[in-house]
Amino acid sequence: MSKTLDRMQAIFRDVLDDDGLILRPEMTAEDVETWDSLSHINLITGIEEEFGVKFTTAEVASLKCVQDLAVLVEKKLAPKP
Amino acid sequence: MNFTSFEFLGFLVVAVFLYRLCPLRWRPALLLVLSYTFYLTWMPKAALLLAGMTGLTFFAVRLSGTGGRIAPALILLLVGCLAAFKIALLFPAHGIAGLVMPLGISYYTFKLISYVLDVHWGKTSREPSLIRFAAYVSFFPQIVAGPIQRPADFFSQLPSGRSSLWAAVPRIAWGFTKKLLIADNLAPTVSYVYAHTHSLQGLPLLMGFYLFPLQLYADFSGLTDIAIGVGRLFGINGPENFNRPFTASTITAYWRRYHMSLSSWIGDYVFTPLRMATRAAGNLGLAFSITVNMVAIGLWHGLTSGFLVFGLLHSFYINAEAFTSRWRTRFFKSHSKWNVPGDLVGCFFTFHLAALSLVFFRCVHVSDAFWLLGHLTIGWANLSSFLVSVQSEISLRNLAIGLLGYVVLELGERFRPDLWVRSMSDSAPRWLRWSFYFATAVTLAFGLSLLVLHAGQARSQFIYEIF
Repeated sequence: MSKTLDRMQAIFRDVLDDDGLILRPEMTAEDVETWDSLSHINLITGIEEEFGVKFTTAEVASLKCVQDLAVLVEKKLAPKP
Repeated sequence: MNFTSFEFLGFLVVAVFLYRLCPLRWRPALLLVLSYTFYLTWMPKAALLLAGMTGLTFFAVRLSGTGGRIAPALILLLVGCLAAFKIALLFPAHGIAGLVMPLGISYYTFKLISYVLDVHWGKTSREPSLIRFAAYVSFFPQIVAGPIQRPADFFSQLPSGRSSLWAAVPRIAWGFTKKLLIADNLAPTVSYVYAHTHSLQGLPLLMGFYLFPLQLYADFSGLTDIAIGVGRLFGINGPENFNRPFTASTITAYWRRYHMSLSSWIGDYVFTPLRMATRAAGNLGLAFSITVNMVAIGLWHGLTSGFLVFGLLHSFYINAEAFTSRWRTRFFKSHSKWNVPGDLVGCFFTFHLAALSLVFFRCVHVSDAFWLLGHLTIGWANLSSFLVSVQSEISLRNLAIGLLGYVVLELGERFRPDLWVRSMSDSAPRWLRWSFYFATAVTLAFGLSLLVLHAGQARSQFIYEIF
């Protein structure tokens, strides 16, 4: 999880233009001033590119915090049984 | 039964009394009965439409399940129905005689759509009880003009044993103050200017330009305060709709502070899906999504050219801000001494850009709006003759009370004395609490009598009631 968060943090820092941002699992858009609906999709595309995954609208709509996003990424990366 | 009528106050007292006596498990049913009673006093026929749309959505979602294909069809039907009414009202001469906009249709349709999509996306589970679902859709404090509450937020609070008079009554009183003391005292001047646009020049037009945003904000946020306060009487905390919008330093921030329940709704259910679908198209996709988003906000008010221009102006503003945001953030980060002046200048421009868009929002015809904007700077030489001629039309006393009231509004929203009352009521010893309650009650009674004395136009309609 922490490795995923570290990689996500780099994307968040770049998209939200905040070099000091420390990504915490329970963090939501309300905690970061520049994280609005405009930058939200930029974060999603950034993470899609970084991890080589694709999200659906339903998945993005259901996210509540950073943790949800990290779990979703790991679920997509996990080898299919 | 208007929110500012004595009939409504009477209804409310009886309703709260019954609700408090009612056992918890019967409360959703009682709330439903109360909501429909309220609705029937406005528009008995439209209640059938409300009930029909509610039943249709409830059973369609129940039958289809989360993965079903019924969601798009249902949304098309709900939006179609809303649009049909908005279109029919554009052509009164060719339409059905006596047709009026069903009360709250724009608000409850959006509640229904959010339920359909939240279930479809797996964001929330299906509500098993039709009574609870119908109580959500028809919840009377929110049906007149929102705020648009999300289903999960509402259901998690119903039924609630907790309802605090002290969180509710001051909020309702504040709403009445904004409506009766501020909005209704500014209304006559604004109505006069916008009814005689073509015969006016200079100062009166400038007054219309500046006063309408203040009137609209006082009127609509007052209505929201009443809705939130009344909701709290029944243990339901509705979403906030305003957060001092005229202190925003960008238009993007303004929309995070103005009619928040609508802008966040459109953001979640229009912008996000659209942006997801167009994300491969880069900046073009972004510009397209922003434009659709803001035009949707404009046209939600009505399918007229004025609301279209209003939406287009805001899409232009937001696009311009979105494409310069990186540059601006970096500039202010490396030039921190410019932060405060930057915010002040931003605030000034944001207010004026919003006011400019509201001219198109308020004018009946787009041509009136262009006239108003084109004649702001001329005719100042004839000022004294204008003042003499409008003395009988515009009451300077009303205008002064309205403006003074507006200053109180901004101070009240800045310092939030209601929060002091609440924190006090939690922690203070009993004697202090009760003396505080007593002082508050006396102030409210005194305030109410002042309101009755100084209220503007007698019981005028709320601006957002008609959407």
